[in-house]
Amino acid sequence: MTATQVQPVLEVRHLSTCFKTDRGVVTAVDDVSFKLYPGETLGIVGESGCGKTVTSKSIMRLLPEHLSFQKEGSEVLFGGNNLSLASEDEMREVRGDRIAMIFQEPMTSLNPVFTVGWQLDEALGYHTTLDKAARRERAIEMLRLVEMPEPERRIGEYPHQLSGGMRQRVMIAMALCCEPDILIADEPTTALDVTIQAQILDLMNGLKQRLNTAIMLITHDLGVVAQVCDRVMVMYAGRVIESGTVRDIFHRPQHPYTKALIESIPKSGAREHGKRLPTIDGIVPSLFELPHGCRFEDRCTIGDKKCIDREPALEALDGREVRCHFPLGDAR
Amino acid sequence: MWSYIARKLLYNIPVYLGILLFLMLALRVNDPVHAFLGKNATDADILDVRAKLGLDQAFIYQYFDLLRDVLTLDFSVESWTNEGLRVSDMLKRSVIPSISITVPALVLTSIISISIALISAFFRGRPIDRTLMVMAVVGMSVSFLVYIIFGQYWGAYLLTREGSDLFAIGGFEPGLANWPYYCLLPVLISTFVATGYDTRFYRAVMVEESSRDYITTAKAKGANRRKVMFVHMLKNALIPIITRIMTTLPFLIMGSLLLEVYFNIPGMGRVLYKAIQEQDFPVVQIFVAVFAGIFIVSNILTDVLYALVDPRVRLS
Amino acid sequence: MTSTNSALGKFLSGRGMRKLRRDRMALVALAVIGVYLLLALSVGVGLLDKGDVFDRAGPDTVPGAWGVQDGEKRLTDAEFYIEQVQRAARASNAEDSLAELRFGGLRAAPGTPAEVQAQVDDAWLAFDAVAAYEELDEDPEVASLLTTLEQKVEGLYAAPTGFAGAIHSLRLSLGTDRQGRSILFRALYSTKVAVQIGIVSALISVLIGTLLGAAAGYFGGWVDHMVVWLYSTFSSIPWIVLLMVLASMFRGGPFDGTLIPVYAAFCMSFWISPCRVIRGEVMKLRELEYVQAASAIGFGRIRILLKHIIPNTAHLMFINFSLLFIGAIKAEVILSFLGLGVKNEPSWGVMINQAKAEVLNGFFWQIGAATFFMLVLVLAFNILSDALQDAFDPKHVGSQ
Repeated sequence: MTATQVQPVLEVRHLSTCFKTDRGVVTAVDDVSFKLYPGETLGIVGESGCGKTVTSKSIMRLLPEHLSFQKEGSEVLFGGNNLSLASEDEMREVRGDRIAMIFQEPMTSLNPVFTVGWQLDEALGYHTTLDKAARRERAIEMLRLVEMPEPERRIGEYPHQLSGGMRQRVMIAMALCCEPDILIADEPTTALDVTIQAQILDLMNGLKQRLNTAIMLITHDLGVVAQVCDRVMVMYAGRVIESGTVRDIFHRPQHPYTKALIESIPKSGAREHGKRLPTIDGIVPSLFELPHGCRFEDRCTIGDKKCIDREPALEALDGREVRCHFPLGDAR
Repeated sequence: MWSYIARKLLYNIPVYLGILLFLMLALRVNDPVHAFLGKNATDADILDVRAKLGLDQAFIYQYFDLLRDVLTLDFSVESWTNEGLRVSDMLKRSVIPSISITVPALVLTSIISISIALISAFFRGRPIDRTLMVMAVVGMSVSFLVYIIFGQYWGAYLLTREGSDLFAIGGFEPGLANWPYYCLLPVLISTFVATGYDTRFYRAVMVEESSRDYITTAKAKGANRRKVMFVHMLKNALIPIITRIMTTLPFLIMGSLLLEVYFNIPGMGRVLYKAIQEQDFPVVQIFVAVFAGIFIVSNILTDVLYALVDPRVRLS
Repeated sequence: MTSTNSALGKFLSGRGMRKLRRDRMALVALAVIGVYLLLALSVGVGLLDKGDVFDRAGPDTVPGAWGVQDGEKRLTDAEFYIEQVQRAARASNAEDSLAELRFGGLRAAPGTPAEVQAQVDDAWLAFDAVAAYEELDEDPEVASLLTTLEQKVEGLYAAPTGFAGAIHSLRLSLGTDRQGRSILFRALYSTKVAVQIGIVSALISVLIGTLLGAAAGYFGGWVDHMVVWLYSTFSSIPWIVLLMVLASMFRGGPFDGTLIPVYAAFCMSFWISPCRVIRGEVMKLRELEYVQAASAIGFGRIRILLKHIIPNTAHLMFINFSLLFIGAIKAEVILSFLGLGVKNEPSWGVMINQAKAEVLNGFFWQIGAATFFMLVLVLAFNILSDALQDAFDPKHVGSQ
């Protein structure tokens, strides 16, 4: 583990985000806490709807204000401030400059009626004092950094003229052009071909090392996590249920859900031939009807009455955290 | 881009030919000569009128004659009810009155509805948005005619009775100085009615645009609310807005028929209305053919403008 | 959801319908529409007879129940009532005339013609007493004289009591138009006309539009080209002009004076909108995997069209129906104004048209009644179509 003297660049404590719906208030992110250290890649993993995207958008305060709110006591500590309580003006200074975010669908995430150059220029214009010529230079430099072929030409092109992989590179360039401390990447490769996926992940890894940016990588794909993450946090139905280093999680998962997730990754090889792909029975509980006890109980293969009655607390265990009454221990 | 325009032109030609076909058939369901001359016409009269307009020829010849007239803009045929008056003159004279109402109405309506829509979208879900939308829906549930009746009553009639002759009860005279007196009231009424519909549409466009992913990206880059709305969103929203405005263009020239009839303004709509009432066949035929032609041309122009505004279309 | 496996069953229990059922405004709107339908039906089977709608119910342009009558008006009304009785009493077969005299439930008071004439003379005296004054609204003396006059006038008639009495006050509750007819009853009758026109026009238009649109979207090729050409053509003529040309086609023909020209004009212009929408939707549905799967299994094209595709456009059909219903009602007003609409019976358009002159005299009852009745129904349909779109189209932006 890293030396304990290193301070986290981001610390989230007891973050809870709620939405107002016509069926009542629902809590999408429930008492989530974690730390992010400089230069590391933290993976946030879970099924659709588990709250991982909402967590990241809550940090950036990008959720619609009239429909959502963070519960009192939520703390998002960054640069000496609690972003949960910061004003909109203060947030705007942070966004794009100190914390940047890229999204899943590069085609719809880029504005179709402005050129790539214009959109890069915009980000630079908000957060730097460079003049027009300098901004253009920097834009081209950023495009080169993300390994975009013919950057001078791309500057004048529109998003629909680029391929999926190229668009995502533009998104990354836009996000990193002001050299932020943190890059939040929300499913950055999900919409891309597998081969392009690998390139983008490599790119992100390389950039991270060069710029010492911390990355929060949100994904449902454990394969991606294995490739690029240092630490992992597993979420389920709005809760953190396990976290630890990638090595620990993959080799000795403690929570039954994590174990089942890992087992359901398709593997190749002679031994796997003819076997059924393991899946997890059942579905995620609706956020409107959460059980009192453990949220994973109805799909879990172990556990007893205790799991139905009382929800387990997140406990530290062997240098990591698990939320389970019956963590798996060393058994595989 | 040019192939795009060529395709649009090619596509619209059969449409126009179709319009002419239906129009001519519809007008000949009841023999126009009989309808016009009435029961007491002598056979000689009938034959005479028929021959003058070529109605004694086979339909296919009539069709091509009309087509040729329209394409060469030759409207020198005479009206039946107004002896000696050529349809081309009638057309020319009626354009200005029509435009005097519709163009200012369009400008005013667009400015007001886009502004209201922006406010509504900006404060989406809050009381002011809800109020504006409720007003729009209720306003849309009342007939245009009712607005005209009350508009004329309050704007012209009441005010005149109390001595201030601000608006005419009807009629028209050309000239900029005369415009407010004759035209402002109909324009205001027209704006009042159209704003409800347009605002809802523009608001929907803006709300839809504001929920797009690139708006989130813009905010994530640090854009403030004003920048997001007026730069990112507006430019995208302009595409459907412009398209909508363009589709109302043909109606600009053709005038608001109801207003013209009610306020006795001699625009294209009223001329056509009277012609239909009086069974003035040549006028009806030419006017509708011209209307349809204007419509087709403006369709093509809309498509071209669309291509200019949306880079995705322009560069494909 | 498995109670009926039919397309209708699936539709009614689907997610869209559930969402719709939770929308309170939509339910209120549906209830209102239900009331109107019931009303139209009742009128259709004879709730109102011809007399209620076409016969005189009182003097001209009487304001409604809560209106304020000025002295001049009350005098004129009294004059009217007196004259009517007088005329009947002096007619050659006076007894019969008096017996036949009626305004709604109001009949002439019993008595021989001679007796009646005496009362009439008495009433005229009271009339003259009031008429002598110039200003009828200021003097309290005049007020009491007017009251006396009105009592005398009342004496000339036998007012209906009980249920009939209630009907009679209802009859006059919204006043009378320029021909003395009951505004309320005419407005109620117009409801039937409006609902009739709305349902027929909207239904036929949606059916034609859906069939053509589905065929165009599904079969593609020349069928598609034909349909697109057809609707491009029709939609290139401004709507009012199209209506006028179509309606004037029927002039002098066998259908002139009925509602057929109105129906024809509406259907021929309204089918375009549903056709476009359904065509677009069918084109999208055609590409869906389960449709392609059905085709791969070997289901015939007609069967796929009927069982899979059209049920999935049902919500669009409903939405278009309600939009076209609104369009038909509002267009009817315009057509009546242009002289091409409803001819031989009252409708909201007819009433609004007749009210034009009344408005200039400051009389708003007829236009108010027609507009109000129409407003409520159109508003209900507007709310319903918004709710339908919200419920079935996740991307729709309504008033939310």
